Amino acid sequence: MSQPIIEIANLVKRYEMGDEEVFALQGVTLTIARNEYVALMGPSGSGKSTLMNMLGCLDTPTSGTYLFTGENVSDMDDDDLAEIRNREIGFVFQTFNLLPRATALQNVELPLVYSGMPRAERLQRATQALERVGLSDRMDHKPNELSGGQRQRVAIARALVTSPSIILADEPTGNLDSKTGQDIMRLFGELWRGGNTVILVTHEEDIARHARRIIRLRDGRIESDEVNPHAPVA
Amino acid sequence: MNAFESISIAVDAVRSQKLRSSLTLLSIGIGVFAIIASTSIMSTLQQAVNGQLADLGENSILIQRTPTINFGTNWSKMRKRKNITYAQAQQFRDRMTSTQLISISNTSPAYTIKAELESTNPDVSLIGIDEMYFAVNSVSISEGRSFTESEVALSRRAAIVGMDVVKALFGAGSALGKTLTIKNQEFDVVGILEPRGGVLGQSQDNRVLIPITVFNRYYTSEWDASVDISVKAESKFTLESTFDESVGIMRALRGVKPWDENNFEIDTNDALTGQFSGFSSALLIVAWISGLGALVAAGIGIMNMMLVSVRERTREIGVRKALGARRVWIIRQFLIESITLCQLGGLTGMVGGLASSWAVTEILRGTMPTISYVMPWGTVVFSIVICTVIGLAFGIYPAWRAATLDPIEALRYE
Repeated sequence: MSQPIIEIANLVKRYEMGDEEVFALQGVTLTIARNEYVALMGPSGSGKSTLMNMLGCLDTPTSGTYLFTGENVSDMDDDDLAEIRNREIGFVFQTFNLLPRATALQNVELPLVYSGMPRAERLQRATQALERVGLSDRMDHKPNELSGGQRQRVAIARALVTSPSIILADEPTGNLDSKTGQDIMRLFGELWRGGNTVILVTHEEDIARHARRIIRLRDGRIESDEVNPHAPVA
Repeated sequence: MNAFESISIAVDAVRSQKLRSSLTLLSIGIGVFAIIASTSIMSTLQQAVNGQLADLGENSILIQRTPTINFGTNWSKMRKRKNITYAQAQQFRDRMTSTQLISISNTSPAYTIKAELESTNPDVSLIGIDEMYFAVNSVSISEGRSFTESEVALSRRAAIVGMDVVKALFGAGSALGKTLTIKNQEFDVVGILEPRGGVLGQSQDNRVLIPITVFNRYYTSEWDASVDISVKAESKFTLESTFDESVGIMRALRGVKPWDENNFEIDTNDALTGQFSGFSSALLIVAWISGLGALVAAGIGIMNMMLVSVRERTREIGVRKALGARRVWIIRQFLIESITLCQLGGLTGMVGGLASSWAVTEILRGTMPTISYVMPWGTVVFSIVICTVIGLAFGIYPAWRAATLDPIEALRYE
């Protein structure tokens, strides 16, 4: 096993809803290594989304530690987290979340803008990322001029463009028909084979089956964590 | 990309919320309009008055058909006043006993002066004067001479020119003895005016003086044929008696009944200065207070617009934060947007204010032929600055709200 990217120990997240305390995560311990392909599964209320937000550095835990490539992100402030997300994490959302007024190229460029990269380099990298997802002929299209599958490809290019340590995809096929969904899953497979670390969050067995490792959550705890026997051969 | 994008988002916001945004932009426009228009009109008037006052020497009295500053007085009554003709002015001069320092002149703006191949811009003031002009007014000759009594009486084509005109027509060479042309009439240059610099950015050296007899024949029309009479009292102590004598003689010459008001304007230079500055500062204070008030009200409108914009774009903000936008980026984006909105409104008000003050100047030209428009550059710059300040001041709270949104909540927002 190569060097771990994510090392989580005894992670607890507690929310206060009125007078009640809700434990979304009750002591999760987990390690994910470089170039793994992980599916995170669980019914709603299992803490799956909370764990995903933690992994994506969008939220900090109530207690426990989270080391991201060796760096402790458990008690970072808003701007430090933003920097980690910008540098290390590529998000792919169920609803694509592209900026409607910007072209495909501008959308892909955006994370690089926030990292302060010079314009020429930005354009080159964004162009390459779009070529990689097979959209070199759609760069100047706005999201509403693209199909659902194409929009998700733009979102994947945006996630790839910073060469992040992990790609974190939240129900990436949830808004797509099954054939387009299969295409997108094939793309994730290619990215993984190309050396990327992919974490899928899903409640669909069919989708999770693409991953090499499946982690199931229930009631804020890891229920099972096993190698996927059905995974396609690398 | 980001600044440009923020600007285009601001323009989009205006387009998608036409009524709400146009009302907000309108109030900014009104504020800027009030400030620009009032300042511009006042500077224009100030310049007209100062130009005249700069010429008037100490202990001087100015007699005109209508006042230089003409507000709050009955306009139509002013316009019905008969011209002060040259003949009438000469009679006045002959009858005055308390002083001999009396000069008759008339001014007309905007002539093009030519000499051989060169010509001036069409903005040279042409002034018709008599031989007493330099004795009465605080204007002097640096080279050459004034007109003689016979030159004025016999309508000789002679000219005394300001330095700006000399430079434009003759360059570095001497102008004395040269010939220049004004609307087909040729004039010999006999004198050059002492340079005086500018009053409110308007050069006082951009003028040509010719005998008033020639002026009256070729360069007046019906409405500006009325001449001005400058009277200089012999001392501070005789100013009052000279003033009273002047009033008496003018009333007699113009057949004013004892119970009627003067049908001409007569003022000392001190009174002119005082009248104008009192009037103009009062008006400026009112205009600026209401303008700034409108701008503050507009700022609150801008803040409301921006808060709505932040709420409508909660999800977008969430995406930007997820992609790694630090707070300062989000704040920057929304500040640029609010400043753009302010500038859009400000620009509208500025164009309106400049256009209307220019129009007012053109209308006033009917009774004040020497007036010329003064572009209020300082105030234009001030308006741009104040719009930026308002965009910043009222945009910072919405921008801060956007920047501190919880990315998870924002991404979940429908």
